[in-house]
Amino acid sequence: MSTDTAVERRRPFSAKWLQDMAIRYAMVLVLIVVIAFFAYRSARFATPDNVVTILIAAAPFALIALGQTLVILTGGIDLSVGSVIALSAMAGAYTAKAMPDQLWLALIVAIAIGALAGAINGLVVSVLDVPPFIATLGMLTLASGLAFVIGGGAPINGLPANFSQFANTQVLGLTIPVILMIIGIVGFGVMMRRTKFGMHVYAVGGNEQASRIAGIKTGRVKFLVYTISGALAGISGIMLASRTINGSPSLGVGYELDAIAAVVIGGASLMGGRGTIWGTALGLLMIQTLNNGLDILTVPSYWQDVVKGLLIVAAVSVDVWAAKRRE
Amino acid sequence: MKHRSIIRAAVAVGAVTATAVSLAGCGAGDPNAGDGDTITIGVSVYDMSSFITEGKEGIDRYAAENDIEILWNSASMDVPTQADQIDQYIQAGVDAIVVVPVQQDTLQPQVSAAAAADIPLLDVNATLNNDEVAGSVQPDDVAAGAQEAQMMVDELGGKGNVVVLQGPLGGSGEINRGAGIDQVLEENPDMKVLAKDTANWSREEAINKTSNWISAFGKDIDGVISQNDDMGLGAKQALTEAGMKDVPVVGIDGIEDGLNAVKSGDFIGTSLQNGTVQLASGVALAARIARGEEVSDNHLVYTMPAITTENVDDAIKHVVSERDAFLDGLTELTDANLDTGNVAYEGLPGQEQ
Repeated sequence: MSTDTAVERRRPFSAKWLQDMAIRYAMVLVLIVVIAFFAYRSARFATPDNVVTILIAAAPFALIALGQTLVILTGGIDLSVGSVIALSAMAGAYTAKAMPDQLWLALIVAIAIGALAGAINGLVVSVLDVPPFIATLGMLTLASGLAFVIGGGAPINGLPANFSQFANTQVLGLTIPVILMIIGIVGFGVMMRRTKFGMHVYAVGGNEQASRIAGIKTGRVKFLVYTISGALAGISGIMLASRTINGSPSLGVGYELDAIAAVVIGGASLMGGRGTIWGTALGLLMIQTLNNGLDILTVPSYWQDVVKGLLIVAAVSVDVWAAKRRE
Repeated sequence: MKHRSIIRAAVAVGAVTATAVSLAGCGAGDPNAGDGDTITIGVSVYDMSSFITEGKEGIDRYAAENDIEILWNSASMDVPTQADQIDQYIQAGVDAIVVVPVQQDTLQPQVSAAAAADIPLLDVNATLNNDEVAGSVQPDDVAAGAQEAQMMVDELGGKGNVVVLQGPLGGSGEINRGAGIDQVLEENPDMKVLAKDTANWSREEAINKTSNWISAFGKDIDGVISQNDDMGLGAKQALTEAGMKDVPVVGIDGIEDGLNAVKSGDFIGTSLQNGTVQLASGVALAARIARGEEVSDNHLVYTMPAITTENVDDAIKHVVSERDAFLDGLTELTDANLDTGNVAYEGLPGQEQ
């Protein structure tokens, strides 16, 4: 907070002010450069349709990245979200196939299963004090196994056609997952800044012992962030299943890494206590813009991985360097 | 008969070690094991994919009707696990081994050990690239790739721009199907590939990949050649979202949703890889070799039948809607196919025995 006042005291548009802004918004600048590059290389990139394409691809990642941000802010990590996506997608698809005229039930089952998996993570971390890395690694394996159990080792095909309505219904020209993403980013952004729960999440990640002494129920905060992360993975899972109109036990494999990458690119510290929802949204936009732009330039996917890997390291290095300059 | 019940119990439990112990205890040296009525075949599959799950039903049915005891193990995509499972089968002295490999060019020591122990070992569905295998049933992926590319060429009248969705790069499926596609496209110089990349057999990845290509090329895309049905379905979804539902898509494998897509007109066609037929042939061939019976050829090729609107209804019956009836006739079909050598024959319209 001290840097805020320092910046305000400086005269706008002076050299020093510009330098401060450049450091502060390094990540935004990198994103602008990336967007400018793609727009320069392909006239097809900066079109309204393509922006929508990027947003649709970003939506399932956005939901789990939001949950991941909360978990990482408490100093934890949730490795299980990818598998929880598969588990809830399979549970939802199974329900839809068994009861095709009760589609809303598929939605509820998927979200409930996701929340339950998250709640178990939360209990194991907060009550049993198991390190989050281990607890959620266990859940990653467990949920992935259960996803296969539901389909008897196979994907669930032949779902009713209207199962696609969750993900493909449009409101004001945007599909439901995109709308959920926007609501999620704004909602969680406001929550983390303006509510007591938001403050508590930062406090637990900043200094757990001090928070406890200050009267914050740290166990409850941790339980809640993992449950939220699980529930969001559940929503993401049912949306993905609905978009592809099938349940695949390998859905979401590796998504946790992209979610963690988005959070880290967004400037959050894996030690907890530092990071913002806006930062995560920015990181997410960065990854999805790269995926999309590199596809448009028909860069082979192995080179895409090389570029993305380099950019993650570069982006975070710049951010860490900038953070040091600020101090 | 005691050892049979023990074997059954072991199969039910599914534990490799229990199997090995029970067989070593009372099965291995049993003079009846080789030339008696019942033979034992150890099967090791890469994983319980939908293809394998389907195929297991075929294997189980064929085995039950032909005095074959099946020992079943899945390697969960792990080569060392698969090697262990085969070592156990050899130790246990089974009559034959059927492997659906995790990865080609693996299991060299196991194949040699099986040969040394006079146990015929067959690779089915994916190749081990090993001259020592006693037999094999292999899909012709090159032909399947060529077949789908030809369907697209015909649909577009020999001229148009396509995008190609590939399987995981470097896998044998991607390499061979890709080779077949390239062959046909090279023969048709007016066919142009706008973009080609992997979506890792995944429907969901294929949606995003295709959406991005639609951004890049828009209405210039005349067709989508997908190396499997799942990715083709993803591409169709992306095209539909972009209001380009009429762009033709072709796939391979003939999974349930893929066949339905052919029926509804979403796909112009696919190539059926019927796991039930293919894996049952593998076990049937292994049984014949183990029993010393005559076979037309130890190395059989499964040539995937083309599925179009002409024969899709029958394919759906075989794979989905009238599966029980199809399984009832499986033994007869499989035995006849082993005699002719055309193991992919299942009586679909347009198919020749």
